[in-house]
Amino acid sequence: MIQAIEHLNPDTLSAFVDGELPDGEQEAIQQHLAGCHVCALRVLSATELKAATARAGRRFALPPGTLARLTAQLHREPRGSLRIHSTRRVAWASLAAAMLLAVSLIGWRQLHETNTLAAELLDQHLATLSSAAAPQVISSDRHTVKPWFQGRLPFSFNLPDAPALPPDTTLKGADLAYLHGQPAALLLFTIHKHQVSVFLTQRSGDPNLVALPGVRSGFTIHSAATHDLQIVAVSDVNPADLDALVATLLRAQSPS
Amino acid sequence: MFRSEALLGVPIQFRGSSQRQTLDNVVSAARSADFEQLALPLLASLYNHAFWLTRNHAEAEDLVQETFSKALRAFDSFQADTNFKGWIFRILRNTFFTSRSGIAASRTVFLEDHPHALETPDTSSTPEDNLIRLDNQAALQRALEQLEPPLREALLLCDVEEVKYRDIALILDIPIGTVMSRISRARRALRQLLQLQLGESQ
Repeated sequence: MIQAIEHLNPDTLSAFVDGELPDGEQEAIQQHLAGCHVCALRVLSATELKAATARAGRRFALPPGTLARLTAQLHREPRGSLRIHSTRRVAWASLAAAMLLAVSLIGWRQLHETNTLAAELLDQHLATLSSAAAPQVISSDRHTVKPWFQGRLPFSFNLPDAPALPPDTTLKGADLAYLHGQPAALLLFTIHKHQVSVFLTQRSGDPNLVALPGVRSGFTIHSAATHDLQIVAVSDVNPADLDALVATLLRAQSPS
Repeated sequence: MFRSEALLGVPIQFRGSSQRQTLDNVVSAARSADFEQLALPLLASLYNHAFWLTRNHAEAEDLVQETFSKALRAFDSFQADTNFKGWIFRILRNTFFTSRSGIAASRTVFLEDHPHALETPDTSSTPEDNLIRLDNQAALQRALEQLEPPLREALLLCDVEEVKYRDIALILDIPIGTVMSRISRARRALRQLLQLQLGESQ
């Protein structure tokens, strides 16, 4: 008895990935997936697309000035103009409570965002390690790499000459990346065969970059800043070598 | 305290009203604090979504600001057992569509729900579509930008904001079945756009 296999239709598959089907249907699909390789692959692929969309869609970070203005607005706005004649004590108490709340929430948010940022850095670094992902520019020549970014980034930066790099450190290529919603130059180096990702972004006064943890999942994360650039390096190479590279890049931004 | 008021000659009938006023203030302050507690953690999300709608930092900020203003004024009508995120995103969206750029955007007619008008061919059962590279963040962002706004909006609410279909339907003011088909179409369109980019870069 041959049963015609009916594959999942795209709407059902999409709702399944979102966990939006009624229980009975969800189970029926689980059963279908157990026996249908094609649909199982499609579900896997749809799940990946969903995760990638979540990352790509979370793109526009709040500029610090905007965050401050909007938070201030939340505290300032009176509810109902007739209630403005409050006794001072209540006003001060509520103001104090609101400020405490804001401070703790901002603190929580910053911690949360710092972790997301560290995870994002690590994700992007790990992606560069997979051999399938060749960088857009493959070159060790700074005169090739730097001009490639022109028109692609709203800022520019300097790259040191090969001889100026620390020993056994090589520029491999570059790519365009987004870090925390901001465009970034991603420079790929190797130090003693260890891969290093260096992200250069415009300095936004983003406190998250300063508060990045030094080590995450065995990878070292080092950051430094010039007047208008933020440099963040991620690698599993030893921290001293990573420091040397970051220092060289910093020096290159202020040619004497 | 009552005694000192009496000693100061505060007329008795004002005492009650001033007490009520103080109580009102306490309630009001508590409600404001409630609002802040709910709204503050959504600031980044609201701003990101506002930017996707307006495509402009200043307008996105204005939009969030106006949303807060409206939401705070309407907060009494918010029922505690409903989804605050859905409620405030709906206000954000309605505010956008009454703004100048929102009105301009809404002039573009979206021919959906006429299933054949904009049908994207269903290629999803071919094995090739599993081979799309999703590690290229910039490519995916370009593809998202090219999506039709109504498809993108539903998809972003689902994938980025993790809002359930039921609440997306309320935010966008469309039936839940339309939410489901918009999201599914958005994903098929994204795949096509990514494949197109991949083809061009080879």
